Amino acid sequence: MKILVTFKSVPDPYESAAPGGSPATAKSVINPFDEIAIEEALRIRERGEATEIVGLTIGPAAVEEQVRAAIAMGLDRAIRIDDSRALDPYAIARILRAVVAKEAPEVVLMGKQAVDDDSNQVGQMLAGLLGWPQATFISKIEFLQNQTRARCTRETDAGLEIIEIPFPAIVTTDLRLNEPRYVSLPGLMKARKKPIEVQSCDDLGLKVEPRTKVVATERPPKRSAGVRVETVEELVAKLKEEARVI
Amino acid sequence: MDNATREVFGNIAPSMQLVFFAMILASFAWLAWQLEQHRRQWRKARRPGFTRDWRVWLERLAIYAAAQKRVHKKSLGALLHLLLFSGFVVLTIGTTLLAIAHDGPYDFHHGWYYLIYELTMDVFGVAFILGCLLAIYRRAFRKPRSLGHNWSDWWLLSVLLSLGVTGFAVEAFRMHYTQVPPPVAHWSIVGWLLDRTLLQGLDVPTAQSIHLAVWWVHAILVGLLFATLPVNRFLHIITGPLNIATRPDRAMGALAPLTIEEVEETGRTGVAELHDFTQSQLLSLDACMECGRCEDACPATASGKPLSPKAVVIDLQRLMSLGGGNVHQTIQDETLWACTMCQACVQECPVLIGHVDLIDDMRRDLVGEGRLAGPPARALQQIGNQSNPYGRPNAERLAWAEGLDVPTVDSNPEFEYLFWVGCAASFDPRAQKIARSTVELLTKAGVSFAVLGREETCTGDPARRIGDEFLFQERAQANIETLKRRKVSKIVTPCPHCYNTFRNEYPQFGGHYEVRHHSTLLAELIAQKRLTNQHKSDDPITLHDPCYLARVNGESAAPREVIGATRDKHYREMPRCGKKTFCCGAGGGRMWFEEAPEERVSRLRAAEAVATGAKTLATACPFCLNMMSDGMAGTPGGEQTRVLDIAELLLERQSRELER
Amino acid sequence: MVAKTLILIEHDRREVKRPSLHAVTAARQMGDDFALLVLGHGMERIAQSLVSLGAAAVLVADDPVLADPLADRYAAAVAKAFQKIGATTLLATSSTFSKDILPRAAALLDAPMLTDVLKITKSNGASTYRRPINAGSMLATVELTGELRVLTIRASAFEAPPSDVAACPIEQLEIGSLPDGARFISREERTSDRPDLTEARVVIGGGRPLKDKETFDRLVGGLADALGGAIGATRAAVDTGLAPNDYQIGQTGKVIAPDLYIALGISGAIQHLAGIKDSRIIVAINKDPDAPIFHMATYGLVGDLHQIVPQLIELLSQG
Repeated sequence: MKILVTFKSVPDPYESAAPGGSPATAKSVINPFDEIAIEEALRIRERGEATEIVGLTIGPAAVEEQVRAAIAMGLDRAIRIDDSRALDPYAIARILRAVVAKEAPEVVLMGKQAVDDDSNQVGQMLAGLLGWPQATFISKIEFLQNQTRARCTRETDAGLEIIEIPFPAIVTTDLRLNEPRYVSLPGLMKARKKPIEVQSCDDLGLKVEPRTKVVATERPPKRSAGVRVETVEELVAKLKEEARVI
Repeated sequence: MDNATREVFGNIAPSMQLVFFAMILASFAWLAWQLEQHRRQWRKARRPGFTRDWRVWLERLAIYAAAQKRVHKKSLGALLHLLLFSGFVVLTIGTTLLAIAHDGPYDFHHGWYYLIYELTMDVFGVAFILGCLLAIYRRAFRKPRSLGHNWSDWWLLSVLLSLGVTGFAVEAFRMHYTQVPPPVAHWSIVGWLLDRTLLQGLDVPTAQSIHLAVWWVHAILVGLLFATLPVNRFLHIITGPLNIATRPDRAMGALAPLTIEEVEETGRTGVAELHDFTQSQLLSLDACMECGRCEDACPATASGKPLSPKAVVIDLQRLMSLGGGNVHQTIQDETLWACTMCQACVQECPVLIGHVDLIDDMRRDLVGEGRLAGPPARALQQIGNQSNPYGRPNAERLAWAEGLDVPTVDSNPEFEYLFWVGCAASFDPRAQKIARSTVELLTKAGVSFAVLGREETCTGDPARRIGDEFLFQERAQANIETLKRRKVSKIVTPCPHCYNTFRNEYPQFGGHYEVRHHSTLLAELIAQKRLTNQHKSDDPITLHDPCYLARVNGESAAPREVIGATRDKHYREMPRCGKKTFCCGAGGGRMWFEEAPEERVSRLRAAEAVATGAKTLATACPFCLNMMSDGMAGTPGGEQTRVLDIAELLLERQSRELER
Repeated sequence: MVAKTLILIEHDRREVKRPSLHAVTAARQMGDDFALLVLGHGMERIAQSLVSLGAAAVLVADDPVLADPLADRYAAAVAKAFQKIGATTLLATSSTFSKDILPRAAALLDAPMLTDVLKITKSNGASTYRRPINAGSMLATVELTGELRVLTIRASAFEAPPSDVAACPIEQLEIGSLPDGARFISREERTSDRPDLTEARVVIGGGRPLKDKETFDRLVGGLADALGGAIGATRAAVDTGLAPNDYQIGQTGKVIAPDLYIALGISGAIQHLAGIKDSRIIVAINKDPDAPIFHMATYGLVGDLHQIVPQLIELLSQG
């Protein structure tokens, strides 16, 4: 039973969002939701319900550090599709489809969204392209019937939903699924010995172009350094007019 | 009186003497064989880890083995051990002297020497028996939970008591059948009293036969005592001094470094198999005699966590007796994570076992194998990515100094002291007041100092305690580079953990500095009258000694001087203070772990503080400040208590001085 | 019928979810005609409630196989409806429902998609879209290429549409066969109407000074309801039993990044601040003028929360 886990290298979310930081200067890390997906795949393997966990990412050579970190968590091997363009979710989904066709996993696991783009689309799009069942925003997953289907608990706005999906399937993970294991330097050293396969879109016989273009980015109106208000009325007025948050 | 003496082996025929010696020889051979089995286990470990300096051995043996420094306490256990120890040592020395006199070239066993010898042996014999009786009483009636109750303990006590009793019986019967006359008889006072009271009317031949029987019982008991020594706690009379002498010579607050080469060689970062420990550590496991003092002092045990330092040692000891194996199957992960590394156990241990090193070595393996997750993992990741466990951008390092004119290494390059703020005082809003207060005090006292600002990054202490040794070394090397570049030689810091790391651990990587905790420098400034600690308050006040300042680094006088404790009628001492201080719960990386309220160590300490009746609680550590503020606010009677750092208190007193 | 825009409406099997109607306002802003799509089983009442929103039609796919929202069949139904009416834009309000279904539908339609659109601007016939990225710490202006597009909009960025237009027809849709691999087992719905703490736009946090559960629910809950927000609590409050532990915000609880966080009786210990530091606007109400939280608050009000909060609730309910 092979599980394919996809992950993305993103700027550290805390550093990016902090007043003194920005996405451009922040350190790169594995997308936290994808880390949760990797962790879940590892636990499934530790339970004896999967035999091979393969990692997959799309990015330039600079993301190699994140690939090593992912392998260090415990992947059997990893694939990097070399591409340095700003791709959009649909382009990514199409590339993933090509790799899935080659690798033929029974389950594809990934984080529900990347914390830089916050689109929350790739998993669902991939499922649509493949015609596979999907379980999104899961907080619990149980393999059933000899690893041929899974019962998933999904987190929704209203509470929880439990669904069952047959394999092969796409599963996207939410925050409460697990807490990923910490990887220290020696783990990273051991990871150097595991193979990373590098491919390009050409190798896959693919030509994909993004259809989304970011033309500008900016900070939302800056938080002024703390103002004391004297009355409730003043507070409400400021929230409505100045901050425009209610 | 010059001729006072007695016959040795008087009642024992030469052939019986041979049997006796053969038996004793066999008993010691059996003992030696068993000890060799233990030694084989220790030797299975790869690295020795012993101290090799014989001068250190002698010094330690004198202080901890002979003078029993760690044993002395106001308790029944300490008293009975003193009696047993002194009794056993004196009786053993006595028997040895007798053997030398009897078998050696010159027989000195007569005259005044003999009389004093007899009296001494009798007095210590009584002490010994008294010790045995007290031990039996304590074990049977007091039943302290941490003592450990094994059948072998009763065996040992029975043998020891019987030895004491039969020893006096042998003496009494000998005196009876050899008809020792007064006043010589009076010197063997116990035997004489027994003879006069119990053996009156007994005829000599009967007395002689009984003497022989009791003598053999005593002899066999001696044989049994030594033959079974390794299977009960008595083993500690050998392994204890061995560990006391040879355990590593490292400061209490310094954990042992690890090199990448070692990791590459063994494939592990810590201890997974029992024999990954050092030989010295394995020996120390055998030195434990289950006194339970470590457990009694442990804050984790006291707060209901699944950790007892004694259980860790005994569980590993048992694993060793089974030949070794995977430590994580014997000791749960939760047990290892529960430790605050306060070193109370290490401080209490009479045979100098290093429990904290054992735990940290096992933690290193957990971290290396990816068995750490959740908030502490996040803290480590943040140390790696943002250079501080709080995850704040390092660029915000001087946010606490807003509004204050703080000299930096750029604005005051000729500084004398580097004021190392530490991550807690830099980013924790409550602790930022410590940094501000200290800066104001240093400025007022005219001290030449500077801060590193953005160049300051985490010392790596939480990483080392949680078990990521390499993250720690990365931080250490980076900081040492910075300190070198900025030509720092003197450091003052308000955080005892930073202080400990600079003082005891950075030297492992080539960083040598003159380090002071801020309490030390402030006390000096007060003594030099550059600051005042005069105050008019009559609020009752108490002090919580930080573990890493008072116990691990021996500084408990300075914080008291800063708050003027000795001259303050309203100062109260908490029962557990100074080196015996009780942890606030934040050490060992626990600051970053999730804990249910009923399990929090700080609640226990807060209750102790509230019981003093103090309305102000002074601390000298930003973590203690955080933990005790929380603890007091949640403890009945403590909600109104002010919790302050000594620097904040001292600054208040400067203002009052100005007001006058 | 034909329409340029198809809007997927969300309901809870009993009635329409109000925020999903905000997509209608977005469609109106774009200027093209639009149709509303309802999927489910037993949809008559729901469909009827949608006729006065100015749509060209309300399309209904009513079938037992659609009784529960499973993405495989819902996305297929949406794609069929979309193609049937010759639409070029697929629209819905952001929610776990629409996020589950719309991307899959976008793939079926070979269309690019944008989530959480805040603003749509048209200039020279081309549209640009503004959406939050990096957990809302940045705003991106985006262009799309191609004929088709799929969008989800953030409810708080668009107003509720007026429901006063002349009624439009309701059309039953023939959906044919749909994928049925997935199986719906059960649901566990929170009895609260409040949004999820980690995704809510507005969060009200309560601290220990709220004294007891009743006060906590009244003040924190009351304020949350007045603003349509979620409730959070400090660890101290959870410890004292004022709130259940899944409300805990902080370093060892939930880390949130709402648009508005109002801290009631919270002093601002660093562990709590770690959980809210990325909030866009922080309001602190506390009796202690030296409380550390005031350093982090956009707006700070010093005073007794037991008096301030009821005033605040009243003022907000009026406006």
